[in-house]
Amino acid sequence: MPWFLHLALRQLFPPGKRFPAFATVSILGVGLGVASLLVVQTVMNGFGEEHRLRIRESFGDCVIVGAAPIANPDELVAKLRLDKEVDGATAYAEGPGLLRRGDFSGVAGVRGIDPADKRQPARQYVTAGKFDDLDDGRVILGYGLARNLRAQVGDRIELWSPAMAERAEKGKAPLPAELEVCAIVRTGFTEVDDRAALIPLRRFREIWSLGPRAHGVILRLKNPAQAAATAGRLGVGHPDLRFVPWQDIKKNFLEAIRFEKTMLFFLMFIITLVASFSIGSTLFSAVIRRSREIGVLVSLGSGRWQLVGLFGVQGLLIGALGTALGFVLTWVMLFFRENILGSINAVFGDGEMVANVYQFSKVPLHYDVSDFVIAAAFTLLTTTIAGLVPALWAAGRKPSEAMRDA
Amino acid sequence: MPDVVLQARGLAKAFAAPSGLLAVLTDVSLEVFSGESVSIRGSSGSGKTTLLQLLGGLDEPDVGEVRVLAPGLGLVRPRTSLGRGVGFVFQNYQLMPELTALENVSLAARIAGVDAGPAESAARELLAQVGLIDRLDHLPSRLSGGECQRVAIARALVNKPSVILADEPTGNLDERTGVEIMNLLLGVVAERGAALVLVTHHREFAERVGRRFVLSGGVLSPA
Repeated sequence: MPWFLHLALRQLFPPGKRFPAFATVSILGVGLGVASLLVVQTVMNGFGEEHRLRIRESFGDCVIVGAAPIANPDELVAKLRLDKEVDGATAYAEGPGLLRRGDFSGVAGVRGIDPADKRQPARQYVTAGKFDDLDDGRVILGYGLARNLRAQVGDRIELWSPAMAERAEKGKAPLPAELEVCAIVRTGFTEVDDRAALIPLRRFREIWSLGPRAHGVILRLKNPAQAAATAGRLGVGHPDLRFVPWQDIKKNFLEAIRFEKTMLFFLMFIITLVASFSIGSTLFSAVIRRSREIGVLVSLGSGRWQLVGLFGVQGLLIGALGTALGFVLTWVMLFFRENILGSINAVFGDGEMVANVYQFSKVPLHYDVSDFVIAAAFTLLTTTIAGLVPALWAAGRKPSEAMRDA
Repeated sequence: MPDVVLQARGLAKAFAAPSGLLAVLTDVSLEVFSGESVSIRGSSGSGKTTLLQLLGGLDEPDVGEVRVLAPGLGLVRPRTSLGRGVGFVFQNYQLMPELTALENVSLAARIAGVDAGPAESAARELLAQVGLIDRLDHLPSRLSGGECQRVAIARALVNKPSVILADEPTGNLDERTGVEIMNLLLGVVAERGAALVLVTHHREFAERVGRRFVLSGGVLSPA
């Protein structure tokens, strides 16, 4: 081991002191900075991942729509199912409808789906009733819509479609479709939950007089991350159809999450920067305090760059140990995140926010290796610079001055 | 005729002061030969420490030049032979507080480029010679002033320098310990064949060396 590294270790961790004040406080400061950065990033990643998953589960990996209803959806679905990237394809139809239950009514975005499709997006979000009970006489309602209609599973509602108005214009008495609520879904997306009414596609076509046509096709892909590329490839040869990958379905929302993460990273970056500056300031004090020792080291033949190494290594070591501590603290804080959140809720009374606002049963997480690599690189860089600046200053001094000033 | 190990010619040094430049040394020349001991006395502020720093390469003269005999290099500027041509003994010992006695001495050898093993062996040998073989693992805070100065003497000698520059080595010690340290310094330095330049207030100590000088008014003259 080079002598300056040995001396740096001894100066940071003097023998006989279990928790040397300077090293302990500096490492703890860096560790907390790194942990706060990574906890925020990991939770934000979790929120982002959870939202992305919900978008895919609620809307599909790729949605195919056209300027006009798709004339022969079954043929298109059969063709798409043959593609090696496509895991599943199902046609759907949708349109506005008026729902009424007694004195309560609401506008719904009614969607006709294939009840037999085991991968229907809404299946996972059923909060009451059974998805598989859906048939021509039943409807599944979004949570918000059901609440507005004061409807529960088993209640009967009336559905009015625009096609009925056309019938009335032709002098036929329109009769609403009477449907029994068989399930309620809650996806967490207000616009879905407050408007969604799901009925079988066959029944939708009947009520909307749509014939065999459909308004779109939902695709499940084997590699959803490549949805944009797959959508582009599948779209070739279908100029009348638009293949929309899930990333574009809620583009602004996803951009907002990404922006939020970037801003939080920036704020946390400043926290870590402040910690690094405090290390720089403390190291500067230590270097000044050790001026006489620096002069002695020069009198012993120490070179300029060895002195830079002596103090630069101390900054690097603080950064490395602080980063390692930060990783451990991150894991501990995230492991006990529900307890921590519970304590915060108990103090500030914001209980159930995660469940009520975000519809998550617990705080979501997603560990991203790149966040850890960036945090470690940034911390090591700033703490090393924090150590190098006073080291360069010390190494540039005349030894006689250093010995006189101390 | 013994070899010249230290040569200073026409040294002058001035420092900035509120009233203008303060000339500390005006024209100092000195030659020290191999194995010789030289003492320099002077009142406080006469420039003894400044002269020693110029001789050791810790500072540069405004005028004049210094040459030191470095092993294998011949007479060179002291800055290029720090730790090898010149060894320092300071008034306040100037040991590294986080290192043990053994580590303090071997550090000087490590800085000079000696590997850890041989450096430790040399340090151990020297510490035995200065009577500290049972204090090897003690930190400076656990050593008395006299013991610290013994460590400092061992450290100054570990790289076999041609000249030792000792700046008031007994200044922080009581009378009895001072005598012990001076006996040790003169004995060990002579035994190791190094030259000694001793800066001291102490007339008796100054008179125990071969040649004696007084620094006054920026000029060095024989006592």
